[in-house]
Amino acid sequence: MAKLDVELKVNGEDYKLQVGSQERLLDTIREQLKLTGTKEGCSVGECGACTVIVDDQAVNSCMVLTAQVDGSKIITVEGLESKSGLHPLQKAFIEKQAVQCGFCTPGMLMSALALLNTNPEPSKEEIKTALEGNLCRCTGYQQIIDAVEMAAEEWGG
Amino acid sequence: MMRKSPMKQESRQTISGVDFKEYFQPESIQKALEIRAEYGDQIEVAAGSTDLLVANYEKLHEIKYWLDLVKLDQLKKIEVIDNELHIGAMVTHLQLMKSDLIKKNLAVLAAAAEDVGSPQIRSRGTIGGNICTSSPAGDLLAPLLSYGASFKLQSTEGERIVKAEEFFTGPKRNSMETDELLTEIIIPLTDNKREGSWIKVGRRKALVISTLTLAVVLEFEGEKIVKAGIAMGSVAPTPVRLKGIEAVMVDQKLTDLDYKALGREVKASINPIDDLRGTKEYREDVAVDVMVRALKEIERKVSS
Ligand SMILES: Cc1cc2nc3c(=O)[nH]c(=O)nc-3n(C[C@H](O)[C@H](O)[C@H](O)COP(=O)(O)OP(=O)(O)OC[C@H]3O[C@@H](n4cnc5c(N)ncnc54)[C@H](O)[C@@H]3O)c2cc1C
Ligand code: FES
Ligand code: FES
Repeated sequence: MAKLDVELKVNGEDYKLQVGSQERLLDTIREQLKLTGTKEGCSVGECGACTVIVDDQAVNSCMVLTAQVDGSKIITVEGLESKSGLHPLQKAFIEKQAVQCGFCTPGMLMSALALLNTNPEPSKEEIKTALEGNLCRCTGYQQIIDAVEMAAEEWGG
Repeated sequence: MMRKSPMKQESRQTISGVDFKEYFQPESIQKALEIRAEYGDQIEVAAGSTDLLVANYEKLHEIKYWLDLVKLDQLKKIEVIDNELHIGAMVTHLQLMKSDLIKKNLAVLAAAAEDVGSPQIRSRGTIGGNICTSSPAGDLLAPLLSYGASFKLQSTEGERIVKAEEFFTGPKRNSMETDELLTEIIIPLTDNKREGSWIKVGRRKALVISTLTLAVVLEFEGEKIVKAGIAMGSVAPTPVRLKGIEAVMVDQKLTDLDYKALGREVKASINPIDDLRGTKEYREDVAVDVMVRALKEIERKVSS
């Protein structure tokens, strides 16, 4: 099968890739770029484990073909950590014990990051709305919401 | 640690429909229409692909030809032309809920867009995809019927404008031909005061394909209702416009209406589908309820 040339900026790095026309962004991220922090849960847009940020918006990477996002800027969970250490969101998730099995965490972090990037001082309701597309089977969500609130405070202040 | 790409290069090379027969990403509508005409039902048209990738999960490899509309920037606009609002087919739910033009003129549509799926679905899913999927549960469909929307369908042969209520012909069926693309949604504006209500009844807010939706749009001259658009989703094989009830309301004041009686009319005029998302009887009862709620909400908005 012929391949398509696609150019992506992932976590600040430029990539030129060849992808199949049915290759989902999730496959490209995990299999070509070996960024396995992004998880595959339901594969049909329901669980949010595969959430990444595409051009500043949270997107299910299982719901989009890589060819469709040619030229886009992408952030995965691996893009959170910087030279100066863990991201405030990561610190808050640890602090508030918002991580149990951890499967939902990368997606939760990405949805939270997309929120804080556009709305640095979200209300509790806005946090809940931002995380609506991310399922967690372990925590019951409260710790996750608390963590996002804490990160917003630290980040903003 | 950031991973360095072994494939990093400087020059920019875009996807080319010429080299790769199975994946087309045209940059003009004309080119898209030519491809659509050539391949007809052999080609999958992709907008945000949120419906497409679910429907084709596990058989993606069977799709030979893709027509990806993502580079058609002309279809991502919302504009006013001659007292009509023109919404491009590639406008996303997120764009609809954020747009000042939509919030001001079509508040019921903005509210429906805000209720679609999750943030991740709203940032990719488009109004065109919602319409073309033609699910009786598509959230934007009842509001579009209520506002008297029309759809512009284009092919290499020309274009035609189809009224929303004539477009939907059955569950996941519509009157689009295999050589056509939906390019625009056209909604008349008005100088009259427009007030409306959007109600979605589902089991859980996010990710639920709705069990019942109601969109009510009333136009007022003074206190008098001069136009009524009432439509429901998920109560019949297609989204339905309740014309009988609209007729009863026109030329009346809100305060003259018997909301409960109208609710019972709603119940009588729908034909609910019995499926896993809620039984027939449940939906009939809810239909009465939501009608009363919607009218009360409009009453509050009008009087404030
Ligand atoms: C987890 C999840 C939750 C969802 N929740 C909701 C919800 O709450 N409410 C709701 O209404 N929907 C919901 N959906 C369904 C879907 O997201 C919406 O219907 C969305 O608007 C579809 O748009 P799209 O651009 O992704 O369509 P696509 O998947 O790209 O296309 C859908 C269909 O329309 C055709 N098509 C698209 N654009 C055109 C065009 N311009 N011309 C001709 N044909 C075209 C395609 O060929 C395809 O057959 C949900 C989906 C998922 C996966
Ligand atoms: S794996 Fe993508 S949403 Fe579940
Ligand atoms: S921590 Fe286990 S699914 Fe969320």
